[in-house]
Amino acid sequence: MFTNGMFFAIVGASIATAFAGFGSAKGVGGAAQASMGVLSEDSSKFGKMLVLTLLPGTQGLYGFIVGFLILVNCGVLGGDMPTVGQGLAFLGASLAIGIGGMVSGFAQGKASVSGIAMSAKDDRNFSKAMVSVTLVEIYALLAFIVSLLVVISVPALKI
Amino acid sequence: MKTVRIVALREERKRLIEHLQDSALIQVKKHDKDVDGFSRVDMTSQMQIFERNVALTEQALKILDEYSREKTGLLSSFKGRREIDPDEIGVIASKSSEVMRICNNINELNRMINENKAESIRIKTSLNQLEAWKNLDIPLNTKDTSSTAVFIGSLPSVYNEAELTAAIARENPKLEFEFEIEYAEDNMTCLVLFSPISQKTMAEDVLRTLGFSRPMSPTHHIPKVKAQKLNKKLLDIEEDNAKAVKTIISFADRREDIKITQDYFRIRADKYNVINELDHTRHVFVINGYIPEEDCEKLTALCDRVATCYIEFGDAEDDAPVKLKNNSFARPAQNILTMYAAPSHADIDPTPILAFFFYFFFGMMFSDAGYGLLMVIVIGIVLKVFKPDRRMRDNLKLFQYCGVSTFFWGLIFGSIFGDAPAALYNYFTGSNVTMAQILPWPTLDPQKDALMLMIISIAFGLIHILVGMGCKFYICLKEKDYGGAFFDTGLWMMTLIGFAVLAVGMATTQIVLYIGAGIAIACAVGLVLTQGRKKKGIGKVIGGLASLYDVTSYISDLLSYSRLLALGLTTGVMAQVFNMLSTMFGKSLMGVIFMVVILLVGHAVNIGLNALGSYVHTMRLQYVEMFSKFYEGGGKEFEPFSLKSKYIKIQEDK
Repeated sequence: MFTNGMFFAIVGASIATAFAGFGSAKGVGGAAQASMGVLSEDSSKFGKMLVLTLLPGTQGLYGFIVGFLILVNCGVLGGDMPTVGQGLAFLGASLAIGIGGMVSGFAQGKASVSGIAMSAKDDRNFSKAMVSVTLVEIYALLAFIVSLLVVISVPALKI
Repeated sequence: MKTVRIVALREERKRLIEHLQDSALIQVKKHDKDVDGFSRVDMTSQMQIFERNVALTEQALKILDEYSREKTGLLSSFKGRREIDPDEIGVIASKSSEVMRICNNINELNRMINENKAESIRIKTSLNQLEAWKNLDIPLNTKDTSSTAVFIGSLPSVYNEAELTAAIARENPKLEFEFEIEYAEDNMTCLVLFSPISQKTMAEDVLRTLGFSRPMSPTHHIPKVKAQKLNKKLLDIEEDNAKAVKTIISFADRREDIKITQDYFRIRADKYNVINELDHTRHVFVINGYIPEEDCEKLTALCDRVATCYIEFGDAEDDAPVKLKNNSFARPAQNILTMYAAPSHADIDPTPILAFFFYFFFGMMFSDAGYGLLMVIVIGIVLKVFKPDRRMRDNLKLFQYCGVSTFFWGLIFGSIFGDAPAALYNYFTGSNVTMAQILPWPTLDPQKDALMLMIISIAFGLIHILVGMGCKFYICLKEKDYGGAFFDTGLWMMTLIGFAVLAVGMATTQIVLYIGAGIAIACAVGLVLTQGRKKKGIGKVIGGLASLYDVTSYISDLLSYSRLLALGLTTGVMAQVFNMLSTMFGKSLMGVIFMVVILLVGHAVNIGLNALGSYVHTMRLQYVEMFSKFYEGGGKEFEPFSLKSKYIKIQEDK
């Protein structure tokens, strides 16, 4: 069954997309609930609430991009059939953004909820809330970059 | 910024203050303590009247919106305020009492409608209760006769006649009674029960144990008649409400007038608020305020023209408000700066630097020639057509400049709506070309050269941070804090440069590497020697060594710039995904329709998500990585005493 690495690569693409998406979904979901509470009082804050709600959404995007690049490179949407070693490398690469994206998604979601509460009290807090929430994002970014660097260099690896 | 004191005659107060408000030249100082020989004039009651009027008109507008929604276009929020001539103010003032009458009328009608609504709910509840009694032909509050006790009410469970007879007999077999069940459903039995007056207490006891209760609102009407009456009342109320709503809607065409009047009262409230802050004697009054230096002459000319007064300028103290002055390239970024904090007196105005890096980094993150061009064109049209107000115009200009930068970065990354040109070419011709092959200039593909781009990103980050530290260096020199300039800032700047040279050396030749290492080590030694200089004894050594630990914060700052790569890549890959999806449906007519729809929706989603991401992350790079190096903030913005209005803009005399 495992004469090539296609299966591992696909599992990797799924892990990257699903787990990071899971983190974002939970983060955005929580933030959306909080922001709807604010909007029910004052619907004119929609723009600001939207920004704070969407901030935990990037992890899902990063996961999706890693997943997509794996598919592009592993013979599903293009590229050559990977060897077993390359397939496992894809799988390994996906763990970074899968796990990193998921956990940072949870954390950023919580930060977003607090940011929403803060800027609901005073509009002038908005930019501070926004910047504080993006502090979490760096860890998702680092995970993403690690995944990315591995994924784009796997086709050239002789393993 | 200068302080200004104007002393003028009381009888010219109205005229002078109105002109000051029109010209928006000065900010009036809040009154803090009473000065001997001066008193204040209490205008609170007038202000309250105006503020109440503003509130009334706001409420009236809200009610109007509820019953006849104002037609607004999708882009109307960009629209600037309507301009009116200063001469029109007189007309507005003369019409204001009539408009206020309309507003009161609207509010009154709305109150009535709400009361009626509450009343109709009450009536409907009563009708529901009466429903159970509709077959009863005596009033609900029928009293006992001389021989018979009458009980009208309900029991909390369902009985038929036999069951009820049995239940009563079980409680008290001696009781003589006669009853009629009117209604037996929904866990409730409504009944009329008669018993001899002599057994009244006995009957009461029995009924009580069964859970008997009398109706909530007994009437002296027969239930059917009562229901008819209530229904008629309900109809009347509904008719009244319909009429009231119609009247309110008939005022919808006065909406503009109401808005203008609201602004008129708002402006007057502001004026009286200022009068509250002034010192008065019997004949003169004093205005204390701030004025930007370049406006001093204008103010003198204005005051000479409209009133007899004495003007005195002075140097402003440290906590004076600041007015930011920037050219048209940097001004859009002022909003970004003030969202963080206005500069304090110790700061330099970093807007030009902020503006440049904002446009630059935004472009690098959004990085698509197609999107950039779209931003520039759409914003250009919006600016032309809607003529937005200054703040909105600045915001739009900000994104227009960002769009230009996005366009050029898109060209560098070889991304025009992602790989749309190549994807469409392949779709129609069946060939297999890439963007790099189509574009005549060399491109830097973030997907292929990610590592290269990451290095470039961090290099830009280093420049950004160094510029920030350069500002700190400059501020320290200006304050004559030479230790802060050369030791705290300069040495760290040189250390970072040393590491950068070292990194270049690793990629190129040994000599460069040694030079870099040399600089870094020399600076590190310098830091160890100088950073403990404010401490005593052994603290000097420890403080110096501990300061080297700061290098971790510089490293994390620099790594943070890798988001330039990540977000740049995100835009490109997302666009590519949508292009790929769109060409999946084959070359039939349906295929082309699907393609167009997916392209439009997909790219719209991509623009929305990634423009937001780029905006937020660019801001973060400015606020967290750069401002932390030098910017104190905490100043106050100059807010001139002016015609602050929401809906209209009063043209200045030219």
